[in-house]
Amino acid sequence: MELLKYIVKLFGLLSEGLGYTLALFFITIIASMPLGLLLTFCRNSKFKPLRYATSTYVWVMRGSPLMLQLYFFYYGLAFIPIIKEFLTLDRFPAACIAFTLNYAAYFCEIFRGGMLAIDKGQHEAAKVLGFSKWKTLTKIVIPQMVRVTLPSISNECITLVKDTALITAIGVTEILYFAKASVNRDVDATAYLVAAVFYLLMNLVLTKLFDRLEKKYAF
Amino acid sequence: MHFLEVKNLKKSFGELSVLDGVSFTVDKGETVAVIGPSGSGKSTMLRCLIDLEKADGGDIIIQGAPLVEDGVYVPEKQAAEVCSKMGMVFQNFNLFPHMTVMENLITAPLLVKKADKKTTVERARQLLADVGLADKENEKPSSLSGGQKQRVAIARALMMDPDILLFDEPTSSLDPQLTAEVLTVMKKLASEKMTMVVVTHEMGFAKEAADKILFMCDKEIIGQGTVEDIFDHPKDERIRSFIESIL
Repeated sequence: MELLKYIVKLFGLLSEGLGYTLALFFITIIASMPLGLLLTFCRNSKFKPLRYATSTYVWVMRGSPLMLQLYFFYYGLAFIPIIKEFLTLDRFPAACIAFTLNYAAYFCEIFRGGMLAIDKGQHEAAKVLGFSKWKTLTKIVIPQMVRVTLPSISNECITLVKDTALITAIGVTEILYFAKASVNRDVDATAYLVAAVFYLLMNLVLTKLFDRLEKKYAF
Repeated sequence: MHFLEVKNLKKSFGELSVLDGVSFTVDKGETVAVIGPSGSGKSTMLRCLIDLEKADGGDIIIQGAPLVEDGVYVPEKQAAEVCSKMGMVFQNFNLFPHMTVMENLITAPLLVKKADKKTTVERARQLLADVGLADKENEKPSSLSGGQKQRVAIARALMMDPDILLFDEPTSSLDPQLTAEVLTVMKKLASEKMTMVVVTHEMGFAKEAADKILFMCDKEIIGQGTVEDIFDHPKDERIRSFIESIL
């Protein structure tokens, strides 16, 4: 009974961190997906320097740890001459920027893969029917790309839910931050299990949501 | 003036020459069958006509308007305008898989021609009935057979009211029974005097429906004329041996 009460108390306590966790999740998704799509276009551009710049960007953001990028945007900027005069970020905005830039690189690659999966014949059929490049993109390519990339997007979103826990390292008061504080204070590991339940529940919702989306966009 | 005029068309993929001086004309209401051995450049020639491949040399003139003259293409916008008078049916159908049959038919007229929705839907229903698929308008392409897909593709091309319809081996990925249902639709179009250029391996169709036959071999048209000219009195040894081999 004592334990149950303690667990209920922990749920209340940890849910205070839910705000930052969810905010980071939604901000990252909403900002990084369009940015990723834009990067995909840049990577497929006919203009060589743009193509190289984009693949370098993807290489850097995918090739270095997200934690390192997080430290860089929060702690690092303050040490760079000139920039430090203008740009030092609070914890949460720094986290949002690091996450968005990092996830955009992954989404860029996911969308690029999706575009490669679309048959050349689709472009040809659109062209002979008189579709402009823009209409081909919005009516033919993107709807099919969504379908092809949904499983990968789902994967990325689930990873993102878990990655939000990283920002505890720069002191943002999200779920894991409160869990760690409880464990230290009460000398009891139950809070970690409660935190795990939070992440599992969020991912359960996401999994179900993407299952539905996949059914909806099936063809 | 010819409906479609091709003069001295040349095309190579890198070092590999695939068309070497192809010339022919198509008149209004004619059904032209392009036959010949695989790899002779038939499909490439057809794809050049509607700007899916760029020719390196020669002229393509559609209803008096040039698409390419002496290897020089008109600006992109003008090319699109010239090609908008033509429709194309592909070997692999290339229906839009995320759309229903009805959406496949009406999207282009609505978006490209800004046609009225009600009339467009009515016209789509009419064309679906013509190709024998009146009950399929809400199906997705994935639930159709190959022959049904190709008939939808023909209806989709007709929705744009083309003056010339190009067919790129429309039955090559179909079994004989499904081939027959597609050819029936094409023969009907031919009898209605639709101007058509058909790249095909179906000699039966060529003999029955074509007003003119182009025989392509080794990057060139080595024979052109009526069905009798090509099948009964072939002038070139290569045509004779090809026809003997398929009989």
